[in-house]
Amino acid sequence: MSQPIEFTLNGRATSVDAPAHRLLLDLLRDEIGVTGTKEGCGTGDCGACTVYLNGKPVNSCLVLTGELAGADVVTIEGLKEGDAYHPIQAAFIEDGGAQCGYCTPGMLMMAKSFLEENPDPTDDEIRFALSGNLCRCTGYVKIVEAVQDAAAELRRRAAEGRNNG
Amino acid sequence: MDDLNVVGHPVTRVDVDEKVTGTATYGYDLVLPDMLHGKVLFSTRAHARIVSIDLEKARRHPGVVAAISGADAPWTHGESIKDKPFLAQGKVRYIGEPVAAVAAVDEDTAQEALKLIAVEYEDLPAYFTPEDACQPGATAIHEEFEDYRKAPFIVGAPMPNVCEHFKLRTGDTAEGFRQSDMVLEEKYYVPIIQHAAMEPHSAHAQVDPESGRVTIWVANDAPFRALTEVSEALGLPQEQIRLINPLQGGGFGSKGGLKLEPIAMGLAFQTNGRPVRVKFNREETFISTLVRHEATVHIKSGVKKDGTLTARHMTLYWGGGAYAEKSPTVCIRGSLPSPGPYRIPHVHVDGYAVYTNKPVAGAFRGYGIPQGAWATEQHMDELARRLAMDPLEFRLKNVFVDGDMAYWGEQLHSVGLTETLTKAAEAIDWGKPKPAGVGRGLACISKPTRSPTTSKAGVLVDADNRVTVLAGTVEIGQGSNTILSQVAAEELRVPIEQVQVAPLDTDAIPFDASTTSSRSTYHMGNAVRGAAIHAREQLLEMAGHALEGKQEELVAAGGRVHLKDNEDMALTYGELIRRRLGADAVLRGDASYTYEIGKDLDLETGHSDHASAFYMYATQAAEASVDEETGRVRLHRVSAAHDVGKAINPLNCVAQIEGGVAQGIGSALHENLVIDENGKVRNPSFLDYHLVTSLDVPEIIPIVVECAEPEGPYGAKGLGEPGLAPTPAAIGNAVADAIKSRIRDLPLTPERVFRALEERDRK
Repeated sequence: MSQPIEFTLNGRATSVDAPAHRLLLDLLRDEIGVTGTKEGCGTGDCGACTVYLNGKPVNSCLVLTGELAGADVVTIEGLKEGDAYHPIQAAFIEDGGAQCGYCTPGMLMMAKSFLEENPDPTDDEIRFALSGNLCRCTGYVKIVEAVQDAAAELRRRAAEGRNNG
Repeated sequence: MDDLNVVGHPVTRVDVDEKVTGTATYGYDLVLPDMLHGKVLFSTRAHARIVSIDLEKARRHPGVVAAISGADAPWTHGESIKDKPFLAQGKVRYIGEPVAAVAAVDEDTAQEALKLIAVEYEDLPAYFTPEDACQPGATAIHEEFEDYRKAPFIVGAPMPNVCEHFKLRTGDTAEGFRQSDMVLEEKYYVPIIQHAAMEPHSAHAQVDPESGRVTIWVANDAPFRALTEVSEALGLPQEQIRLINPLQGGGFGSKGGLKLEPIAMGLAFQTNGRPVRVKFNREETFISTLVRHEATVHIKSGVKKDGTLTARHMTLYWGGGAYAEKSPTVCIRGSLPSPGPYRIPHVHVDGYAVYTNKPVAGAFRGYGIPQGAWATEQHMDELARRLAMDPLEFRLKNVFVDGDMAYWGEQLHSVGLTETLTKAAEAIDWGKPKPAGVGRGLACISKPTRSPTTSKAGVLVDADNRVTVLAGTVEIGQGSNTILSQVAAEELRVPIEQVQVAPLDTDAIPFDASTTSSRSTYHMGNAVRGAAIHAREQLLEMAGHALEGKQEELVAAGGRVHLKDNEDMALTYGELIRRRLGADAVLRGDASYTYEIGKDLDLETGHSDHASAFYMYATQAAEASVDEETGRVRLHRVSAAHDVGKAINPLNCVAQIEGGVAQGIGSALHENLVIDENGKVRNPSFLDYHLVTSLDVPEIIPIVVECAEPEGPYGAKGLGEPGLAPTPAAIGNAVADAIKSRIRDLPLTPERVFRALEERDRK
């Protein structure tokens, strides 16, 4: 049975009618038509559907629409900063972090969240943080490089912000 | 070659913006107006007669538009053997075979309707290994095999369930064994694994009720092969079929052929023009799409004391699963070079592709090379150990070099093997002291490409200076759109930013054989290069008129043409087109490239004087140790030296090598699609089927070797497939070196390693 749900999606107030048992992943892709968030397994094992829910990364295939009332959801479509790439996007482009690109949206969301918690990580810490996001193409080498480069850029910006502030 | 502006440079991927912003539309993302949702009922029996199927309740279920079984879609298809029905016909041959399908207004309704379908089965004897299936007296999995339409190269065998018998006969192996000082015979096994592309499978289909024209939307590796197969199956001319290829989220061989396409079409014939989408979730993808061939490989080798190989006798059993799909050609192209890239005077190979009651085995990155390499390259180390020779030295003594006559009767050229061997070994400090418990191993391969094949291409230049490449190569993540854009930009002398690759639609794009077999850079690269040159020549001719200069006085550079001694008078391509052809005109260059084969493969001897357009050569070396308490393998580093001919995009070459090695590590250490004694897949999820994660990949040292292929564009060969082929054997050899015990079955699980340690300690 459908019911109205109101939440924020990528900064915009959003209202949909959907059954409470509908997965957030399916709600985004099939009901709202925002398909940047990918389905790789539907069982929480691959991380391709990672989005931000109230500031934390979640597998959107494990979240029910019924949990969304008043929530703040950010997907890959909300990652750009206006017209500019987020540093994690820029680094993936520069370093070759994407091949087929199917795991990329989830990977980027997870990497962004990780760097918010750990702005100066070791390679091993990056590998641990991304170990729930599967990629079949890259062997993860360029992904780890890209996350390091994004971390450096974010630190540079933070330092600049402090100096200017 | 040194004055290349775009080719040979580490250009950023041209398709990356849409991939990092979420705007890319993959097959799985595609929503069509008024679309119905298809769901599939799968066989629960490994081998059984279908006594009855009752669809009536499903058909009457509210919201259901169509419910079909094999009787409603009475067509069969197959690339080299037409043995596969759109939906099971009369019997089922594996658990997971599509038996019936429903199209409904939404997925939930379709799923409910599936529960209303009643199927009654009568079990038949089932076979789960290729050796069991071809034993005398085994029940035929395909009673009608003799009557199937088959490609001319199919060779039968006087054993049940064999769908292809490949024979290679060179010299006299009995004589070769007599000449040897030592003979070693062993058996090796490679299990079923799955491609596990991150995008699961889907297909959309629509049948126009007026014209009967069929449109399929599917991320398929080989759209023109699919067109042919659909046309032959339905008895429709190819003009009545259109295939639109959305972006593909990885393939590795899994997305060629027809898989969900027949189901989507079967439903679409019953929905009065409404399009139908069929999507498999991950579990369905695991049990019902394609897998890699399991293989049992017997090898007997003769060698002299000085390390000279004298003879090799091989028998390979390829487990093909329930339908032939690619089994005949995997058997041929995997068995042919399975004795390894070595000078061996006496060689005898029998390869058998055998039907079993398991999921269908298809193309998988490497196309039969990884299975042979696991066996042969470990066997080489076992021989080296007995000869007390260094494994690198042993290989260097026997390995193919330029001018060698390969045992299949072809004289080889552009062989970069020796360089890959020495460089891969050096990169992991081969021959230098190492700590106790650390092992080093290496493995090398050669790989042919599918030959002969054709690629056609068009290159458009418009009045706005845009260059558009029309190519049937599918961007599956391997970077082909970038490579082809580089080639077009190079030949048209424009910045790569001006080049785009057109979406793939068989109504608009010229023919291409397939995006398989690492053939695209070479074949489509040559075609796009030719088409771009054709366009450039037309532009220069127009410029000759406009600038009143002779052809030899004209220079094309930076998207403009000018006279050699007057750069100020330059005209852009767009200006030329506007002036000479009109403001809305598009200039088009065309070209076709076909590799002309020499003699066809001789079916009795396996010989051909030109079996492949080019050969790819690679060596990988691994350093590993083992936790003797748990049996867990710890990889320290893997080097991978690949002879690519010419790196069109060095960044992309490195990316392909790293990704290939990671897949190779998965197949070496974890991956195994476990199928139980009833034929049921036990681990159809990413929780239970262990893909390589970011924690499983050690330091990878990619090494690009460039031994130019004269026929290739700028000297290029191919690269995509070999990345994972030598990895398991290199790791297996490193583990054997570390623990002084040999494991001959993949994967190298902690349990297997632990048992190998126990066996060693018992001795």
